Amino acid sequence: MLVFRKPLSGIERPQMPADVVIVGGGPAGMACALRLSQLIDAHNSRNPDSQLSKENIYVLEKAREVGQHCLSGALLDPRSMRELLPGFEKEAPIEATVSKEAVYFLSEKGKFKLPITPPPLRDHGNYVISLNRFVKWLGGKVEEAGITVFTGFAGSELRFRGSRVTGVRTDDKGVDKEGNKKSNFEPGYDLNATIVILAEGTRGSLTKQLINRFNLDWNSNPQTYGQGVKELWELPPGRMAPGEVVYTMGWPLTTREYGGAWIYGGKDNVVSLGFVTGLDYQDPRLDPQHVLQEFKKHPFVAALLEGGKMIRYGAKSMPYGGWWALPPLAGDGWMIIGDSAGLLNSQRLKGIHLAIKSGMLAAETAFQALVTGDSSSTALSQFRVRVDSSWIKKELWKVRNFHQCFEHGLWWGLFHAGLQQITGGRGLRNRCPSTRGYQRMKKLADLPADGGAEAHLLGPVKGDGKLTFDKLTDLYHSGTKHEEDQPAHLVIQNTDVCNERCIKEFGSPCQSFCPANVYEMVDDATQPNGKRISLNPSNCVHCKACDIADPYQIITWVPPEGGGGPNYDGM
Amino acid sequence: MPDTILVIVEQRQGKLSRVSWEALTAGQSLAAETGWMLEAAVLGNGIASLAGEIASKKLSKVYAVDSPRLEPYTPDAFADALKPFIASRHPKLVLMPHTYQVRDFAPKLATAMGRTVISDCVGCKNQDGKLLFTRQMFQGKFAADVSFACEAPWFVTFQNGAFRGDKVEAAASPAPIETINAEIAESAIRNRPQEVFKEAKQAVDLTQAEIIISVGRGIKEQKNIELAQRLADALGGELAASRPICDSGWLPMDRQIGSSGQTVAPKLYLALGISGAIQHIVGMKGSRTIIAVNKDSEAPIFEVADYAVVGNLFDIVPPLVEEVKKAKAGA
Repeated sequence: MLVFRKPLSGIERPQMPADVVIVGGGPAGMACALRLSQLIDAHNSRNPDSQLSKENIYVLEKAREVGQHCLSGALLDPRSMRELLPGFEKEAPIEATVSKEAVYFLSEKGKFKLPITPPPLRDHGNYVISLNRFVKWLGGKVEEAGITVFTGFAGSELRFRGSRVTGVRTDDKGVDKEGNKKSNFEPGYDLNATIVILAEGTRGSLTKQLINRFNLDWNSNPQTYGQGVKELWELPPGRMAPGEVVYTMGWPLTTREYGGAWIYGGKDNVVSLGFVTGLDYQDPRLDPQHVLQEFKKHPFVAALLEGGKMIRYGAKSMPYGGWWALPPLAGDGWMIIGDSAGLLNSQRLKGIHLAIKSGMLAAETAFQALVTGDSSSTALSQFRVRVDSSWIKKELWKVRNFHQCFEHGLWWGLFHAGLQQITGGRGLRNRCPSTRGYQRMKKLADLPADGGAEAHLLGPVKGDGKLTFDKLTDLYHSGTKHEEDQPAHLVIQNTDVCNERCIKEFGSPCQSFCPANVYEMVDDATQPNGKRISLNPSNCVHCKACDIADPYQIITWVPPEGGGGPNYDGM
Repeated sequence: MPDTILVIVEQRQGKLSRVSWEALTAGQSLAAETGWMLEAAVLGNGIASLAGEIASKKLSKVYAVDSPRLEPYTPDAFADALKPFIASRHPKLVLMPHTYQVRDFAPKLATAMGRTVISDCVGCKNQDGKLLFTRQMFQGKFAADVSFACEAPWFVTFQNGAFRGDKVEAAASPAPIETINAEIAESAIRNRPQEVFKEAKQAVDLTQAEIIISVGRGIKEQKNIELAQRLADALGGELAASRPICDSGWLPMDRQIGSSGQTVAPKLYLALGISGAIQHIVGMKGSRTIIAVNKDSEAPIFEVADYAVVGNLFDIVPPLVEEVKKAKAGA
């Protein structure tokens, strides 16, 4: 019997007052905290008589250490960092400056190099970074500035009073598989905050609670996502220069799926490579981890990796619905920043600089609220005004219809993207609609049994142990670890749907879209279809793909006991 | 008469608990700061010699609170003995080590006296005449200073290791000892303690086993575990499993091998129906000899196995058990 995680009821919880609680210590949250600290320091030196305190500003981070759950390509557009910390390059961990870039279109065996790199993918002046190392460094700055970062604490629930967000409840610790208190039980804290800033990253769990509670996205395009699966490789010297950047389109995907690969050369012969597969594919058997393995088998990639060694693995979803998919960014006592809001440029495959900038603008808004004592919806909606008048909007407006047009396939998408390029982002209309990715998933009955053109992307990979890997082997390299004896944090509303309907209609796609073997259909003769859903929650790498891609939308990802999760050292 | 600090010293079966000295060290340092008296009390049946041991430390007085009803320990008897004792001596501060026993009776005692406990403190200080006690929050990330808003007596417990027990100061001459014959009504004691429960020695220490029979998913059902057990018995080995088996509760967690369980290196590791994901391999690859039985000839376990048996474990294990028995009987 599966027992799912939820905050225990009927217990007394420690209460803590807070001015600002930032949920999530990624680039957005850390930039927000740092900017807020800068503004307070400047205020305090100007106003010796009315000092603001930083003592009650907290960052909650579910990872045991800052940065451990951060995964990205990653290329950093330094624009926002230069605003936040001028001259940051001197001390930040930067792998390399982009020196050379190329875009390839791959067929099964061949490749075609685009004669000119399309402007959005020109990366001269950007930096290759490990987001994990970068955020660890940025987090150090935040702590030095005197802001408390609670590592190992997740936000498990938002607290409300009427339409106002009044705080965050942290995770209960020491609860066993059956939901009972263990001897080390420690109840979650209630942080009663004047302002809550949601910086949870992609598909934030509190952000989801907030949006659903007030139906905030009623007027937004549905958010669409891609699933990035990444491996870090150590290659023989000389294969790829630091700062060399390669993008590919095409193989192994067909023209029906959206996605592509990146390969970035870093320091010490370490190369970051990964594949982003749009979580709006049609065949439920498609497996994004499998897609990455197929990609590596392409002669071009296989030759690059020959003799190298895979050293890390990870996966994370990314929001690429763009401008029209943004929910309201602020309300009564809250703001949403970074990937949680969907601030990502899908054309450039970049969001870190926008996460940082949005964090800074939210900090400016929060600072005003602290000074005036007004954190109402009216006061905090200044955040949206700030975003609108900043370069965030300028950048995202130009690509507002980029992803939507690929819903009609690659060729139409490329044509339309070109059209947008010359019409300032408009293309054929000002606002192109989009479809929720899971609604595009087809039932098995409507698909060729052998998989048709997608056959090479379906189901589990065996792997040769050198170039390609089965999922469990890949997963081992994510370093993920959780307390085993705790309730399942993948909350399935109704497992009968899994056992009775999904298995027949879609063939249990959870087993395919999950990059970590969390979901498993195990033999069970008592079930009508002979199988039953079983969960391995301790395998989870916190990518959120299940919450996004499940065709019945009955899976809710909530944070497990704080401290658990992947170990994305160097990712 | 200045105010008094009373330290309640814990004894078990006639031996003082080591952590009690830590509470006494805390008492000595607070007494030095405040200029208050320092007294100690020990509870039990026939504890005169223990009181003598305490009296050798630097304090103003030791009480031996004695009653046959205090042995064996019950929270009712302890609270019942301490309440009138504390009420009559009215110490300002009552210090205790944060032991299981104290956690058991201290809330009851404080509540009975209409007071509160500041528990599990890691430090204390006297700030401008106000006593502050330090407690950890957020798993030690934060330290909160807490003080009493109520009337004395104030109850405080100290975390294990918060003070140095070996730093407790000895006295030049022993402190006076007063024996209090506590009157505890039999009806007050509602608990009937049984034998003291000793945590069972871990049933199995797989790291010490020379032969390990390990089962995986291939065992199919919980009832089939018995088959592997028979082989383990025949070989004189220990039973272990891969994660899914322990996760299903078919075997206890302490028999799990792999990255989320134990790492073992026996002389013989016999893997039955284990596919050999890397998470399992890292827990047993150091074994001297590995024999793997698996239906799938491409199972990764065979890459580390010294002997590979491709076949159905249900066909192979029963005759193997018989052969082992025969061989052992013959030997």
